[in-house]
Amino acid sequence: MASVPAVPEGEATLSPPRRESRFRGWLRRGSFIRWLGFGGAWIPTLMLVFILVVLFTKAWPAIQINGWGFFTNSVWNTGNQYGKSITSHGITYVEGQEYGAVPQIVGTLETSLIALIIAVPVSIGAALVVVERLPRRLASLIGGFLEMLAGIPSVVIGLWGVLTFGPFIAKYIAPALTHIPIPFFQGDVGHGEGLLVSGLVLAIMVIPIVASTSRDLIRGVPLLPREGAVALGMSDAECARKVTLPWVGAGLIGAVVLGLARAIGETIAVAMVCGVAIGQIATNLYAAMITIAANIVQNLDTVITDQLGVRTYAELALVLMVITLATNVVARLMVKRVSGTALPVGRGL
Amino acid sequence: MGNRFRLVAAAAAVVPLALLAACSSSSTTSSSSASSPASASSSGNTTVSETGSTLLLPLVSSWQVEYGTLFPNILITTSGTGSGTGIADAAAGTVNIGGSDAYLSPADLSQFPGLMNIPLAVAGININYNLPGVKKLNLNGTVLAQIYSGKITTWNNSAIAALNKGVSLPSTKIVPLHRADSSGSTFLTTSYMNAQDPSGWTASNVGTTVSWPSVPGATAETGSGGMVKGCAAIKGCIAYIGVSYASQVADDGLGTAALANKSGAFVLASSSTINAALATFSGKTPASGAQSLINGTDGYPIINYEYAIVKPKQASAAEATAVKNFLTWGITTGSGSKYLTPVNFVALPSNVLAIAKNLIAKISS
Repeated sequence: MASVPAVPEGEATLSPPRRESRFRGWLRRGSFIRWLGFGGAWIPTLMLVFILVVLFTKAWPAIQINGWGFFTNSVWNTGNQYGKSITSHGITYVEGQEYGAVPQIVGTLETSLIALIIAVPVSIGAALVVVERLPRRLASLIGGFLEMLAGIPSVVIGLWGVLTFGPFIAKYIAPALTHIPIPFFQGDVGHGEGLLVSGLVLAIMVIPIVASTSRDLIRGVPLLPREGAVALGMSDAECARKVTLPWVGAGLIGAVVLGLARAIGETIAVAMVCGVAIGQIATNLYAAMITIAANIVQNLDTVITDQLGVRTYAELALVLMVITLATNVVARLMVKRVSGTALPVGRGL
Repeated sequence: MGNRFRLVAAAAAVVPLALLAACSSSSTTSSSSASSPASASSSGNTTVSETGSTLLLPLVSSWQVEYGTLFPNILITTSGTGSGTGIADAAAGTVNIGGSDAYLSPADLSQFPGLMNIPLAVAGININYNLPGVKKLNLNGTVLAQIYSGKITTWNNSAIAALNKGVSLPSTKIVPLHRADSSGSTFLTTSYMNAQDPSGWTASNVGTTVSWPSVPGATAETGSGGMVKGCAAIKGCIAYIGVSYASQVADDGLGTAALANKSGAFVLASSSTINAALATFSGKTPASGAQSLINGTDGYPIINYEYAIVKPKQASAAEATAVKNFLTWGITTGSGSKYLTPVNFVALPSNVLAIAKNLIAKISS
């Protein structure tokens, strides 16, 4: 109170209104909001560009030294750390280093593919059931659980994967799968670390994303076309296949890509269950393997004091980022294509 | 896995501890004991942080407990993150001490001039196996290299049988375990295989991270604890685990192999065999402390100095003093049998102790 300047009583009502401070005026005129909006719009863009530029400049010597071999070779060797030093392309590094990222790129795509093969049908099925079949209360309960599943930290899923889920799969599920007469399904079922378990763990993390997104999409489908379909005598399955899903088609692709992006970039859970087999492409469904993200998190510290090594990991990060961006771009193109024709309005069912 | 789990547990434990320490420091600053030389710092409390080798972790943990009761105003934090992280974090200055099973490489030194590797104690790596009924097993570097390359796939292979006359070996499939994280144990074990059989295990496959040859069923584990648990769960497994985990290894019913040294004798790790091997190397140890102790002619063949990786220039005078005092205490009082026997380490020989003391004296702020 004491800090408020004393204004003589009586004069207060007569004195002219105090000049507005520049700051408050700036706020009132909306400049603040404008700048906030401007910043908000540009910061994500700039961050993406910034990360790409930094990764690229960091990785540039490695890109030159590793060459195309990075995308054609499978050998990943961090070199003899007590060996001789070599200087080239402006950096000094120990001899014997050789980097081929094929197993990691293949591993990243394989695990994501397995995750999607399992997660997409499950998620869309779950979304349809939640919206169309379940009573409202049960639906909101299950919806709530789906969202909670999405919120489980990946390290928790990884821990569960390595302690419980992986051994369970190796003991009960994998031996059954070996009866499928496809060479890739046959071989040593391992001990719960490898391609299959990584893919399954990823599927668990992808399902809530795809399911809750597609649930919201399906919920947005108007009742009228669905009623019309029922009136025509369609079964629930036909109605879902011919009316509901085509209606949200473009959105579904978006939902799947959201899940795919999560699967490609997922790090710690996969690092815990993949078996960390650097330089190995899985020869069967159960073999230990490696993904780009898992390699970065498990082994960056080995090379952190080596200039070529650390730059190669930057190159690896760049590859991961490009794969993710490319996935997004492809998805956008697909959404564009599908959304033109998918809406069933005005065309025969 | 064990490593990461421990990390989470450690974080969960450290946060309340740090809060507690902060609270107690604000309320008892004036009364904090002056027994520690580092009490000059303004808050009265100094934190010495250590991270790195999981092989060294059990020793540093026991030091931490004892040191905490002796000097309550020095807070020691420790975590097992692997030697690679220990070196990297100490070089970056994010921790005071990096624990490492491997000495610094010329590349490390050229990038971080002055970074020191201070020997703390002598440790070793055991080769453990999960074969109930097989109590005694002899192995050498050549056979080990063939196992880890997938050339020997069953325990009753003739090459293993040749080293183990009179032992009945089962036809169990061999499951080689290796470390998932960047590890000093991996470095020491691959060094041994390369030293014994340079053509069977090439020098390019020696390091803290190794491109392991593809072996069906082979698995990776994080941290030394993860290796123990992983091996206990898999019949027929073989794993390389630091001697500081020998009691857990025994509790889980795993066997320990006798390894061939350079002269071909099969030896188990014990304080006498480690000392015997050390005798041939300790005299050669240079003033920098960097010395490989692999494949000696006498005694146990996979031993190493455990190192504290320390920057000679610490962030503050209080930290420098605290680090010096802690390390000095560690290689003197902390190297008593009370601390070393439970982890199966051996104290530094007197000439290496002098080297370590010289290096510690270089720490300043």
